[in-house]
Amino acid sequence: MTHELARVSSSVPGMDRDPTLLARRLERLRALDRRLVTAAELPPPARRTAAGADPGARAAHLAAGLGGTVEEGSGGPVVVVERATPLPMTLDGLARLPYPVDMERPLVYLDTETTGLGSAAGTLAFLVGIGRWDGASFCVRQLVLPDHADEPALLAALEAEIPADACLVTYNGRAFDWPLLVARYRLHRRPPPVTAGHLDLLPIARQLWRHRLPDARLASVEAGVAGVRRHGDLPGALIPERYFAWLRTGRAALLADVLAHNREDVVSLGRLLGEMSERLADPERRRSAHPGDVASLARVFQRDGRQDEALACYAEALAAWDEREPAPTRLDRDTLAAEAARLLSRTGRHAEAEAAWRALADRGGSTAVWAWIALAKHREHRARDSAGAMEAALRALRIVERRRAVGIPLRAAERDLARRLARLHRRARARRLT
Amino acid sequence: MRLYASATVAEVLDRLLADPAVAEAVVADRTLPARAADMRPFPDWLDAGLRSGLEGRGVTGLYSHQAEAIEALRGGRDVCIVTPTASGKSLCYDLPVLQAVAEDASTRALYLFPTKALGQDQLAGFHELADAAGIEVAAAIYDGDTPAPVRQTVRAAGQVVVTNPDMLHAAILPHHTKWFQLFEQLRYVVVDEAHTYRGVFGSHVANVLRRLLRLCAHYGSAPRIITCSATIGNPGQLAETLTGRAPVLVDRNGAPAGEKRVLILNPPVVDARLGVRASAYGLVERAAVTFLRADRQTIVFGRSRTSVELLLTRLREALREGRGPVGRVRGYRGGYLPSERRAIEHGLRSGDVLGVVSTNALELGIDIGRLDAAVLAGYPGSIAATWQQIGRAGRRRELSAAVLVATSGPVDQYVATHPDVLFEASPEEARLDPENLHVLLAHLRAAAFELPFEPGERFGAAPADDLLAFLGEDGHVRQAADGRWYWASENFPASEISLRVASPGNVLIIDTGGDRPRVVGEVDLFSAPTLVHEGAIYLHESRQYHVDRLDWDERKAYVRPVDVDHFTQAELAVTLKPLEAFASDAVPGGERVHGEVMVSSLATIYKKLRLESLENLGWGRIHLPELELHTTAYWVAVDPAAVAGWRRDELDVALVGAGRALQTVASVLLMSDPRDLGLVSQVRSPHAERPVVYLYDGVPGGVGLAARLFERHAELVAGARDLVADCPCDAGCPACTGPRLESGGEGKRLASRLLALLSGARADIAGAPAA
Ligand SMILES: [Zn+2]
Repeated sequence: MTHELARVSSSVPGMDRDPTLLARRLERLRALDRRLVTAAELPPPARRTAAGADPGARAAHLAAGLGGTVEEGSGGPVVVVERATPLPMTLDGLARLPYPVDMERPLVYLDTETTGLGSAAGTLAFLVGIGRWDGASFCVRQLVLPDHADEPALLAALEAEIPADACLVTYNGRAFDWPLLVARYRLHRRPPPVTAGHLDLLPIARQLWRHRLPDARLASVEAGVAGVRRHGDLPGALIPERYFAWLRTGRAALLADVLAHNREDVVSLGRLLGEMSERLADPERRRSAHPGDVASLARVFQRDGRQDEALACYAEALAAWDEREPAPTRLDRDTLAAEAARLLSRTGRHAEAEAAWRALADRGGSTAVWAWIALAKHREHRARDSAGAMEAALRALRIVERRRAVGIPLRAAERDLARRLARLHRRARARRLT
Repeated sequence: MRLYASATVAEVLDRLLADPAVAEAVVADRTLPARAADMRPFPDWLDAGLRSGLEGRGVTGLYSHQAEAIEALRGGRDVCIVTPTASGKSLCYDLPVLQAVAEDASTRALYLFPTKALGQDQLAGFHELADAAGIEVAAAIYDGDTPAPVRQTVRAAGQVVVTNPDMLHAAILPHHTKWFQLFEQLRYVVVDEAHTYRGVFGSHVANVLRRLLRLCAHYGSAPRIITCSATIGNPGQLAETLTGRAPVLVDRNGAPAGEKRVLILNPPVVDARLGVRASAYGLVERAAVTFLRADRQTIVFGRSRTSVELLLTRLREALREGRGPVGRVRGYRGGYLPSERRAIEHGLRSGDVLGVVSTNALELGIDIGRLDAAVLAGYPGSIAATWQQIGRAGRRRELSAAVLVATSGPVDQYVATHPDVLFEASPEEARLDPENLHVLLAHLRAAAFELPFEPGERFGAAPADDLLAFLGEDGHVRQAADGRWYWASENFPASEISLRVASPGNVLIIDTGGDRPRVVGEVDLFSAPTLVHEGAIYLHESRQYHVDRLDWDERKAYVRPVDVDHFTQAELAVTLKPLEAFASDAVPGGERVHGEVMVSSLATIYKKLRLESLENLGWGRIHLPELELHTTAYWVAVDPAAVAGWRRDELDVALVGAGRALQTVASVLLMSDPRDLGLVSQVRSPHAERPVVYLYDGVPGGVGLAARLFERHAELVAGARDLVADCPCDAGCPACTGPRLESGGEGKRLASRLLALLSGARADIAGAPAA
């Protein structure tokens, strides 16, 4: 068998990779490929620059261009760029919010810039920005990869930035940044850093602020929530190519925008957390917060089982909408009021619940149908007032019928009322008979 | 009623051969002797649970091939197991894997099957054995149907992962960091049905395995590879080319087998002058009905969905006339729901299903037990596939039977007139070429994406630096200061490769016949003008589709299912330019050459031909741009002195006729579809200024067919000469040198003369040509 193989490969030179023959075949393939791919689609060819040859020189060149320093590690050099941004905010209130942040632990704000999307093995993080508070400023330390070959050094440097009891703060880091970094450690066969927690602000931002923002991109959220607008921010889609261009050309200036973008992102993490802490955590301060945000927070408290705080937030939001600035729509306001009334019933505050439903019922509109039904329920089962229950149900029925007449049937309410009224009638008849 | 009395296979065969229509058609009648089991005791080291589990299932020892395989693996070697259908092949890998899991629960294994259905079938068997042995093992399928939450569990905890090469290529290898537990602990890789990994698919799979082993080395594991193949001419070489490592070849089957009688029938000639024969269906029906009426379990193989349906209808009608077991005869083909297939497979094993008419969907290792008789409606295209289909019939002790009925196609007729090809010649070799530059470069990109290359690191046959430098020109790969080659692009290279087709830019085939458009397949760019031009009948999984529209710029062909009795054949205006000769050698009458060529082809017209009779039903024009194919070719340049007295037109006819015969024999020798080899003849080659016949590999870069033809030149010429000489036609026909009308009646005579000239002395045929 092996003899046979040897014969095949020796008698058929095309099967081997005879270097000169291979060179000629590649030359022909090159000619063919160039015709299939237009020149515009090809990136410029690699060019070795002065900075490219020696790894140390390359890192130094990059550090000089970005205003940073070179830190030599066991696995090569990393360029470190540090900048402080004034950010006089405190996180004192954060512990009172329904999010898993342990203020005793160090918070590590982290954001990466990568060579692509997803966490397949060919994508790497060439820049990791790490943020922390330093008094009234927010300090961002950026680890920049001078070259592919230096990745072990970057990973080692990153390990040193993340203590084992750290809680990460990221934006979409649970789905993207952190899995990608873990993949890089796996690829280099090193254990990924241990952390004690991970607060991803993306789902939180969606919960709290989606109601008044066009999208959930970090820059949009920051602009909408903190009023900070970025100027000349590099679009994320252009970032990978900037890095490849740096690798090809050795022009450090190409990465300046990328570093600025990343720094803004990391500062945003601190700023958003600060906004949450300062505006939403304290009940007093909350009165000046956006009522819609307070309404969102009410729902978060409720989901977290902290019903007293949820009810307080509902009340604050409704009060703000009624007194200070009107809700975006009447339906938004009434829906929130209905959620609050429902929570009051569920927590046994029946008198308050009844009052809340009564107020809603008097406002009319589609929410009033459910308010009347809720009142019917309350009167039938709790107040034992069948006649009152019947009256409430009939009030609801009247609205439902009007709706149907104008072509907007409320089917769920109709079904509920049909059953409810039948039962109440039956009971009334039975009572008349006895 | 006596007609349906149960009878033995021997009695049925007597009955069949007593029928004059059958008896006259017999061109071969061979009996393969029975074989006793060659048993070995369980090895001492076998886990006690496994041993008792096997004994509980009535297995008291191992067949010799199973014992050899597991001992070789125990000794740290790779193995390649060559066994016919139903010889207990799965145990050769299930046993060592379960043993390894029993010894160390952190062990991982990866099973690769070419299709999803086979993976499911094998996993069911694996679970049964594991349960019987009381071994807890997490074994799961990982394929496109695996739901996302299950995927995560399989990645983290699957001890045995069952998947297919496409999934390994596109979903596992590029995401290897999520699979690090698998790669760190991988002990065994099972490559089953390896004979299907030939041609372009095989060339891709070999490169996928290179990538797999590269990652294993990175994560510190060194798995043993277990390759299983049906009987082919070069199983060990196939395994070695596929895996890049020389395995221990286990090819002595220790499973018992009863005696088997094999008949080859050639339907009678109905027009001797044109070489036209009667349809194969009549004889297929006679044979199958005779077995079924005698209550003998029978499988009938048709070559397409249409022929399966046709045969099924005919068999049911024939059985109904005499109130036979109509309901117990079923069809089986691609397009049936998996549940229907499972029910039929189960019915075959239990005996409830008496007869099944199938496409080669049942050729692969699906377990349907052992049947009494196999009837093949047409030569399946290769010796290996023929034996696989014949192997479906075969009881452990009693006599079984197989009947092959030839169609009028050229390859069928070659086999019918040379039955020794089937019985004496070794089966075809599976050819693949992992070094195909197009394929190699595509996988090198994927490999660089997965892990940087060390300077001087080998990928396959040689260090990859030159190729990586070539890729570096486009900027997707770069060499860093440390000398390593890194992926430097946002692209995801694995998604640019489809393992089942040759080159990027495939044409998608979209079925518009259903509720919403659905992609049913793809063809590579170079085949598209002849396969999916507007008006073409495109065959996919034995189903016919009519191509309504071909959007060339978008690379999309819009089709709808049809059921017609014709197929289409496109004609190509082909020009060929040799680029470089890799090897050449003087042979009688001229020179044989292997080298690289550029083929320019322009599809011109297509013909509609009736199935079976090949009657011409009309034609249409094709309007598509010219395509260039950069590939490898084998060619024969005729010495001008040897044909000095020939007229130019005579030479032309001779070259075309001889070329057709060479193409037919080449596809028999190489286990390839005749379509995989292109044919071009030039009366006066602009390059060599001599008459030349080229056979070129139909995919970019080639899959090694040309190289092998170059080596087997003498056999090829002798075979072609015999094919033409033995054909019963008088002046050429589609089965030998092509339709006589094309050649003005001179095709056969002139081609014979040329082939004789190229054969030289008879003595030269067997040995190497005297250079
Ligand atoms: Zn003929």
